[in-house]
Amino acid sequence: MDRAYQRTRILTNHLILNSPAQTDCLTSNECLSYSPPELSEKYAFDVSEMRRLMDGHDVEERDRLFGLIIQSKLFNPRVRGGKVFVSPDYNQSMEQQREMTWKRIEYLLERGVFGGWMTGKGEEVEMKRFACFEVLGLFDHSISIKLGVHFFLWGGAIQFFGTKHHHDKWLRDTENYLIKGCFSMTELGHGSNVRGIETVTTYDSNTGEFIINTPCESAQKYWIGGAAKHATHTIVFSQLNINGTNEGVHALIAQIRDADGNVCPNIRIADCGHKIGLNGVDNGRIWFDNVRVPRENLLNSVADVSPDGKYLSAIKDPDQRFAAFLSPLTAGRVNIAVNAVYQSKVGLAIAIRYALTRRAFSLKANEPEVLLLDYPSHQRRLLPLLAKIYAMSFGANYLKMLYVRRTPQSNKTIHVVSSSFKATCTWSNMQIIQECREACGGQGLKTENRVGHLKAEHDVQSTFEGDNNILMQQVSKALFAEYVAAQKRNKVFKGLGLEHMNKPCPVIPSQLTSTTLRCSQFQMDALCLRERELLNRFVADVSQCLARGESKEHAFNTNYQLAEDLGKAFSDRAIFQTFVEAEATLAAGSLKDVLGMVRSLYALTCLEDVTYLRYGYLSVDNATAVRREITKLCSELRPHALALVSSFGIPDAFLSPIAFNWIDANSWSSVQH
Amino acid sequence: MASSQHEQVLVEEKSFARILTFNRTKQLNALSFQMISRLLELFLAYEDDPNVKLIILKGKGRSFCAGGDVAAVVHDIRAGGWRAGANFFMKEFTLNYLMATYSKPQVSILNGIVMGGGNGASMHGRFRVATENSLFAMPETALGLFPDVGASYFLSRLPGFFGEYLGLTGARLDGVEMFACGLATHFVPSAKLPMLEAALCAVDSSDPAIISSIIGQYSERPSLKEQSVYNRLDVIDRCFSQKTVEEILSALEREAVDRREGWISTTIQTLKKASPTSLKISLRSIRVGRLQGVGPCLVREYRMVCHVMRGEFSKDFFEGCRAILLDKDKNPKWEPSKLELVADSTVDSYFSKVKNEDWEDLKLPARPKFNLPPYVIAKL
Repeated sequence: MDRAYQRTRILTNHLILNSPAQTDCLTSNECLSYSPPELSEKYAFDVSEMRRLMDGHDVEERDRLFGLIIQSKLFNPRVRGGKVFVSPDYNQSMEQQREMTWKRIEYLLERGVFGGWMTGKGEEVEMKRFACFEVLGLFDHSISIKLGVHFFLWGGAIQFFGTKHHHDKWLRDTENYLIKGCFSMTELGHGSNVRGIETVTTYDSNTGEFIINTPCESAQKYWIGGAAKHATHTIVFSQLNINGTNEGVHALIAQIRDADGNVCPNIRIADCGHKIGLNGVDNGRIWFDNVRVPRENLLNSVADVSPDGKYLSAIKDPDQRFAAFLSPLTAGRVNIAVNAVYQSKVGLAIAIRYALTRRAFSLKANEPEVLLLDYPSHQRRLLPLLAKIYAMSFGANYLKMLYVRRTPQSNKTIHVVSSSFKATCTWSNMQIIQECREACGGQGLKTENRVGHLKAEHDVQSTFEGDNNILMQQVSKALFAEYVAAQKRNKVFKGLGLEHMNKPCPVIPSQLTSTTLRCSQFQMDALCLRERELLNRFVADVSQCLARGESKEHAFNTNYQLAEDLGKAFSDRAIFQTFVEAEATLAAGSLKDVLGMVRSLYALTCLEDVTYLRYGYLSVDNATAVRREITKLCSELRPHALALVSSFGIPDAFLSPIAFNWIDANSWSSVQH
Repeated sequence: MASSQHEQVLVEEKSFARILTFNRTKQLNALSFQMISRLLELFLAYEDDPNVKLIILKGKGRSFCAGGDVAAVVHDIRAGGWRAGANFFMKEFTLNYLMATYSKPQVSILNGIVMGGGNGASMHGRFRVATENSLFAMPETALGLFPDVGASYFLSRLPGFFGEYLGLTGARLDGVEMFACGLATHFVPSAKLPMLEAALCAVDSSDPAIISSIIGQYSERPSLKEQSVYNRLDVIDRCFSQKTVEEILSALEREAVDRREGWISTTIQTLKKASPTSLKISLRSIRVGRLQGVGPCLVREYRMVCHVMRGEFSKDFFEGCRAILLDKDKNPKWEPSKLELVADSTVDSYFSKVKNEDWEDLKLPARPKFNLPPYVIAKL
């Protein structure tokens, strides 16, 4: 009774004291009230237009899928502070989470979401598929990984390594989930080094069958998503041994469960167990005990074995053959890079919205407390990350287009760009989510607020489908090869955005003014300068090692620090370029103006990187000027913060209670009692 | 005390409550420009008046409110151009926004017909009381219009894909169904309305919990009729969650083969009779509205309705009004006549800004930044 009285009194006070003269400061209420940022922040540009630019494609498709999720009870809708939020119940047991993930997939299947994903062809289908993955990833990482394994890895392997009879036999059934696929590549003893896997396949010409065997414990297939519970079929990677000759890594199809879910004979499956995140995915381990599969199950686009047991391949070089086998992983990498960007968007939208409603400390006694985002330090923490995510969004859109418009000629570019963007976006994602979690204080720890939990869910991104460090080394190796090739043939640089290497080295003015710092040409020059210098230096150091008679591998290994810096320099410059290109598509106006500031903030944040001082590309004075300009840009972007995160196009339901009325979401009346 | 009998909105002051009664019974209380202006004026005044804690809205006669006075709008447009029509909707949507974000509870007594603009004047308020006389519909697609007055906000938030069903087909609901799906917050038998009203007039609080419990004392939990469509929500979800109107129709046709239920063929017939352009923009509007706050929904709907009034992409609204309201031949000739003839790019156009020199987006009235009730904040 007392409580009811007190609550009534407070509410009454709220209403009575609601003075007509509204000011930006708190009225003298007995307690804090939540002031929605929508009513105090202004939008200087059309948010829906910015969203179209950021999402880049399939906006209606995305919205429909968002709607399908929000309107279904399967997606665990909960009301907090009067609003509906969807996200899995991570307090469920691993088994329950896996079953829910599967039920959600069945629901989407019934609603026709996967129509054309395997049987359709072309840019449009592939872009739409990316869009759907982005949306599903915003709901939960497990569902997008579970689908990714089935469609991109299992389905992709059949599309890319298989030939017509495989396509006819498997693709439609895959699209309709009549079979559930998984992808057995990684082993306990071998991850990134796929060429070292130990599973062996031999051929029995008497029966026309391949025999797949796990010869030792380190050869057990490991982390196989879908294997522990649901998958019925798998792609198996193994060393193909024909008549005593090892022909290298090849892929076959093997059935691992029957239609009722019973594990097939000669297959042993164990669970990988509980993980720090992604518990909605049933990762398993598989042992093959001389499992026999028909000859047709060899995915034979690259190489085949004749019925009488002869090895046939159009590609004679085993290195090239192997490279051809890894191409479907590219789609996975593209997906991971893009997905990481969207996770960062969730984190930033939540942290920035919270910072626009949460106050802490007054400047003077009896004055209202200050909004978190009005502290320059808080702006400095979050807004450069916001700029980074804008840049990476454009980078991700570019990467998707590069992928769906792939040609045999563009394979190398796709490999290099996807490797570097995957590493950069996933590393940034972890950094961004951590900062956002801290920026939300204790609220960031609550699973229902999402931002903290995202860390555990997405940590895996930095190591799966290519360990980030190794991917970055590959980028540097590829740049090295480009350099050497250009030098050898005495040709100009062409491709990978390295054309700037053909021009004279840009000069950085000794006194950087605000105007120069905000000029996109200067920003591009500064990023190109670093890439160019690091590439020169890397090539020089590696060449020195080679001249001393060291092997190439050894030379790369010892110069790993330069390789890392170079990979990062390449990535930053390439991402910046996509930003400039996206900006160029806009007509003059407020949207372009704000985006220009965001671009400057991104570029200058890149210029703050330690390499600029380490190698002397910026003087100490200039580095100071960069830092000062960043602070200025942060305060200029502060009024646009809400509009910039609203432009992510993430529905409220996919954010979390602290992003909205967190007082009401935590009120006594909201407690179940 | 009661105002003049000629007033289209009657005003009664009862302690801390204000009872506003639609009084245009001949037109089933259809909202005229004058009524909207009057409501806006009253709501604005009451917001700052500490002696007002509660607003009760009801209709005289057998209708709460049958909608906006569309016939008058068409008449105005014929006389003064599309801007005359746009002005009507600007005022109406502004009122809808004010009601949706109002700092004091509004109780609407829906004891009769509540359609179109009538829903705009009630659904955004905190409490909606249905009775056995309630008759709900959003029939705009039959008129060449689309569910407006913030319907893309409140329809899209109904369970599953029931909102798409109501918005596209214009299907009618009774009071029990309104309560079941959440359009009504309470169901009170009409016989108890005088007692309810008296009880509400004795309230001296704006606390929604207190008001809810008072209405609760007169409420019943009636059960749906067996043949109610709301019992077929599974079928509705399967069909109306489809991506396009065409796919919704074919899903319905498949269901019709599987289960011979009358309502499915009625639904198909209704959809086939509605304006194809209206159906497509309505579906998109509800889908987009599901992800937007009430303010952005109304701003977008205002853009859409201006495009409809301008008749640049389709003149179906004028044809619909001719066939249903003026000539009453009930045989509108839609143009384009078929769903597949309505291009996606045309649908897109309805969501763009109106390219006209002095046209502006709907300006939402300023709202208090502090102390809005949580149920209002959640809608922003």
